[in-house]
Amino acid sequence: MISVKNLYHSYTHDDVYAVNNVSFEIAKGEVFGFLGPSGAGKSTTQGVLTGLLPLQKGEVTVAGYDMRRRNRQMFNKIGVSFEQSNVYNKLTALENLEFYKKLFDVKTEDPMKLLEIAGLSEVAKHKAGTFSKGMKHRLTFVRSMLNNPELWFLDEPTTGLDPAIGRQIIDIVKQKKSEGTTVFLTTHNMNVADELCDRIAFIIDGEIKLIDSPRNLKLQFGEKLVVVDHIVNGITKREQFSLIDPADMARLNTLISTGQIEMMHTKEATLEEIFIKVTGRGLE
Amino acid sequence: MKKLWTTFIKDVKLSYSGLYFYIEIGMAAIFLAVMLFVVPENFDKTQTYYAFIEVDEIRDEFDGRVFENDGTRVELFDDREGLEQALSKKRSAVGLHVYMEDSKPVVEFVLQGYEGPEMKQMLKQTVEGGLLAELPTYEDLTTVTVLEPGTERLSDRVSMLPPYLVINVAFMGLFVIAAYVFLDKEEGVIKAFAVTPVKVWHYLASKIMIMAVMGLVTSTLVVVSLVGFKINYLLFFGLILSFNVFGSTLGLLITSFFDSMTKAMGALFLSIFILVFAGFSYFMPSFSPVWIKFLPSYPMFFSFRELFLENGDTGFIIQNILLFLGLSAVLFAYTNLRFKKTLTV
Repeated sequence: MISVKNLYHSYTHDDVYAVNNVSFEIAKGEVFGFLGPSGAGKSTTQGVLTGLLPLQKGEVTVAGYDMRRRNRQMFNKIGVSFEQSNVYNKLTALENLEFYKKLFDVKTEDPMKLLEIAGLSEVAKHKAGTFSKGMKHRLTFVRSMLNNPELWFLDEPTTGLDPAIGRQIIDIVKQKKSEGTTVFLTTHNMNVADELCDRIAFIIDGEIKLIDSPRNLKLQFGEKLVVVDHIVNGITKREQFSLIDPADMARLNTLISTGQIEMMHTKEATLEEIFIKVTGRGLE
Repeated sequence: MKKLWTTFIKDVKLSYSGLYFYIEIGMAAIFLAVMLFVVPENFDKTQTYYAFIEVDEIRDEFDGRVFENDGTRVELFDDREGLEQALSKKRSAVGLHVYMEDSKPVVEFVLQGYEGPEMKQMLKQTVEGGLLAELPTYEDLTTVTVLEPGTERLSDRVSMLPPYLVINVAFMGLFVIAAYVFLDKEEGVIKAFAVTPVKVWHYLASKIMIMAVMGLVTSTLVVVSLVGFKINYLLFFGLILSFNVFGSTLGLLITSFFDSMTKAMGALFLSIFILVFAGFSYFMPSFSPVWIKFLPSYPMFFSFRELFLENGDTGFIIQNILLFLGLSAVLFAYTNLRFKKTLTV
């Protein structure tokens, strides 16, 4: 669905690259997470992929369209949700969606249905300028669903939202994923990426450091340990057992069969810990 | 075309609830009120002279204290102090003090101080000419001919319309359309628009159409109120549309080189400042160097002038409508190319 080869982008048109030799491919139906801290090059890459920034150097194909010869028809297949809400404040929520609906050449969703999904049907006829930040964000988000996109770009879809609204948005993305929509997710929220993505790429200083599935990354970088809280002589004791060392494995088996276990869990690495391990930097 | 219409209708809604629409309406209303209630149909061009005449033979020529004749008004005073006080109250008046010195009459002009040497010389020669005309052998052989004998003049009130219309449709269009685009950029809606299957020229054309509608509404309101239905409104609409489209397209082109209103302000003001120069030629026809005739605003001023004349040059008007539509088309094509690269950058 997306093919990027040796992509470079410089805002100053010199050798200072915001995106430096980035290559990756995204298959149809895949949810691909682009993870990195602010200023890493995430939004620049998405800008080039969505045609908002010109392709300076490299080869990029999006939804079958070569980005060097941009064709505006490609936007019938694409939906873009922006990090910053960008709706017409002087139009109502419904007018906003109805306006954009008429710009597409493909079958579109019913604006009222989308407003219901976003929990905005009650305020459909209110001007967007009167909305809270979260409401505007949801309106921006559902606007990107108008044309039932085959390829969906989501830029920080849950950032700055309260957890309940963030959960709603994650559930909508999951639903679309199950329907076969390809998603390019730009975020610095590792939990969202972990929950939604088939594969993720870590990008920092304009360069991709690693691409893999969250599962593989956890297996590769996580410690193979089990932590057990069990009661010995009336006192809770915490112990770690290696899943590689045969002696530890034997002791763990004994504890399971004869001991009094309160809690037991594998100690997996979080994506954030892996990111720090790989890049040497945090996400904020 | 459906998408252009959709975008246009959206822009109509936004403009209707925006500030600039009301600024233009307000400007038109203020201009109309000033024209109707402050500016007379024609300004009073009578030259007032205040005179203190100490020579009895000359003073006896006047019947009473005030004498009016053919655009001249002479008011007599009894002393120099009274003359100077009256002059300080009416800054356009000219003072005359006539007295005897060595048995000869002396004419002293008492001026305000702002008059240039040309004016002083002209007043001096007027007196000398008047005295010459009193000689028994004097014969008036002076004749006046003009190159264009049928030249019409607009009334003072109507002659203010061409500058207003040029400012309203071309200059304001140039500025306001830039404000609209930068507002879209600032609110980020331009990015949302840019990821839809709509061509960039639809976006630009919609903005131009909005400006054209605003220009037509406000200009028609003012012109109908001031001159009624005496002019050819087909030509009027042609002029308004072509100049408006040109001004708006020029504004868009300038906008395409900048990413914020603050940065574009200098270039926009400079453009308007240069275009205003043609106004000097309009108000002072003797000032019309060749370079000023190349400014687009020059034919704008004079096309409107021809429109308001009773026997205006229709060919000149049509020629300029076509010229500006053609120029706008070329400018628009280039502006579209530029915006394809810079709309969301």
